Amino acid sequence: MSDLINKLYEAVIEGEEDDALEIAKASIEAGLEPLKVIRGGIQAAMDLMGDQFENGEAFLPELMLAGDAATLAMEVLLAKIKEDGGEGADSGTVVIGVMAGDHHDIGKNLVRAILSANGFKVIDLGIDVGVRDFIETAKRENAKIIACSTLITTSLPYQKELIETLDAMKIREKYQVILGGGPVTPQWTNMIKADGYSNTASECVELCKQLVSRDLEGGAADPIIIGALNA
Amino acid sequence: MKQKPDLIEILRRSREGEYCSAHEWDVKRVPKAVKKMLKKYDLQNKLDKENPVNMDMELADKFYQAGFDLALELGMLNEARDRIVKIDEEELISTLHLAPAEVELGFGHDKRIMKSRTPSDPYPMLFGSSLGITMSEEAWPYITEGIARQPQVDILESGSLCSINGLEALPNDPSETLLCYEQGRKHVALRRQAGREGMPGIGNISAVTEFGQFCYGTRGNFYTTDLSLILYPSEMKINNQTMHKVVHTLAMGGMVFAGSPGMIGGMPGPPEGAVISSIAAALLQYAILFSTVGGGELYDIRYLSNVNREGLWALSVTHQALSRNTHLCTHGIANQVSGPGTKELLYETLVGVSVIAASGASFSTGPRSAGGKFNDYLSPLDCRWCAEVAHAASGMDLKDVNALVKEFLPEFEDNIKTPNIGKPVQEVWDLKNFKPLPEAEAVYNEVRSRAKAFGLPLDAI
Repeated sequence: MSDLINKLYEAVIEGEEDDALEIAKASIEAGLEPLKVIRGGIQAAMDLMGDQFENGEAFLPELMLAGDAATLAMEVLLAKIKEDGGEGADSGTVVIGVMAGDHHDIGKNLVRAILSANGFKVIDLGIDVGVRDFIETAKRENAKIIACSTLITTSLPYQKELIETLDAMKIREKYQVILGGGPVTPQWTNMIKADGYSNTASECVELCKQLVSRDLEGGAADPIIIGALNA
Repeated sequence: MKQKPDLIEILRRSREGEYCSAHEWDVKRVPKAVKKMLKKYDLQNKLDKENPVNMDMELADKFYQAGFDLALELGMLNEARDRIVKIDEEELISTLHLAPAEVELGFGHDKRIMKSRTPSDPYPMLFGSSLGITMSEEAWPYITEGIARQPQVDILESGSLCSINGLEALPNDPSETLLCYEQGRKHVALRRQAGREGMPGIGNISAVTEFGQFCYGTRGNFYTTDLSLILYPSEMKINNQTMHKVVHTLAMGGMVFAGSPGMIGGMPGPPEGAVISSIAAALLQYAILFSTVGGGELYDIRYLSNVNREGLWALSVTHQALSRNTHLCTHGIANQVSGPGTKELLYETLVGVSVIAASGASFSTGPRSAGGKFNDYLSPLDCRWCAEVAHAASGMDLKDVNALVKEFLPEFEDNIKTPNIGKPVQEVWDLKNFKPLPEAEAVYNEVRSRAKAFGLPLDAI
């Protein structure tokens, strides 16, 4: 593997944003294939971080810093792919936030970092986000996925309100709404007719990949559930 | 010598303190300061997975010193304004000196005295049930009265309601205010109906924002002899909702019960870091949130639980550290993941609550059956079991509790990631007659017998 890819891999793991950006630029100048750089330098680094997190060897701040470094490097590499007329690495835009009334953002930050590192452009609205803000941002950013999280049971109805509002605005089919957070279950996802649920942050990548590739022309589809709890 | 800062001064600091963005706080300030303390006090890699209950009291004391230093170095971030509320050493010492070592809760025959405890203290750790498990409007009164009818349960918290007369209650919406007033009024009435009018309460579990908390201390609602529950967003952060609740509680002449779990794997990193941050947050909440009681909660972010080896060890050290070095009335939660009617839930309770009780916490609340994820997944029988274990394990030697943990942990630890969520209350408990259904009672009797045979003095209290 190229020395630059190895260096990018190290920079992402260390969460060195400036280094990651410079190495990504240098890899383009050196004529390396951007997709190869993404897979070897960014994806592999974030896979390692994800495994280490699951094993209790890496922690949320490292994961967030790695995600930030990966996002910066990814932006220049994706721009190069587009400039060359290519596709395939840009997985789509996700608008993410914690529902109104709730200020718990640890899980949301984890998902943001992991999605960023997997080629998704993630627009993070932060905490205590109203239904209107989710929708307006998704429209403005041409997002495919709206990811809304809450740790508080009493904020759950806002997830339902988000879907009902999309329905009322007759734009429901434009967005895949996925749910996360402690009290969210597959049952709740089905009940409010959301589009997806995953039990862990790492499974959310697979969920989003499946959702962006599915064709909704024929109308609503069943939600995709990954990692259901034992009943 | 400086004294504990007053409310005006805290509100001033939360507006005018040093600026720090939440992102910088989360990924730089907190992790760096925790790492610094771990190194300074040589506390890295102290977790002993083979012995989930710490028995080294010198180690616990070192963790306390590290937590105290961390509290002074960091303070808490007011995320509403990105300002740091700092407390200096003299102020913190004064705060801890002024904190009550004994608190009277409730009134009449059901009054309870919560006391500062030490590890293996024979004075019983009090137990309150349940946590904020969501309940249907139909089941909530029966479950709540069912809990109040368990004489072992000292304090009544009850589950969360999400609707009122069929209308979903939304946070920061008038429906939240209305729901909480109604829930508080019924909470008081149900205690009376259960024959325990003076039983202490905790309110209001359904109050996400300050609007829901306005019921506390008002006429016909939660008494000021009850605890006012004020959760802050994470272990080193506050916000305006938190401070509104504090101001209201103090204005009512009530008692603040504040808390937020330190997260293993979160901002403070490894279990050792989470112990330090949990101690720091516990100390700071007495200065910044004017806590009467509370502090000492801690979970593993990977499972939102703490009945795994890392979580149990961290809980034991945190409560040993706080109880040996302060006279605070601290609070621990055993965050279960399995559900009603399962042996696993009962074993998770046995292990988790025993660790907290023997390590010196003053009170505990629970259970978090089925991880708190499912509507009506809470049985008063499980509340009774929690309280029985809390009282019985209080005076146990830490070595014996460690042996108990090692004996019963294998009953559930392989399933923590994919727990058995059990059954809703209607399938394990006779709601109208306030008694367990036979199948659930048989499971309870089996686990209780095993715990007793092992040496838990269940019938001695």
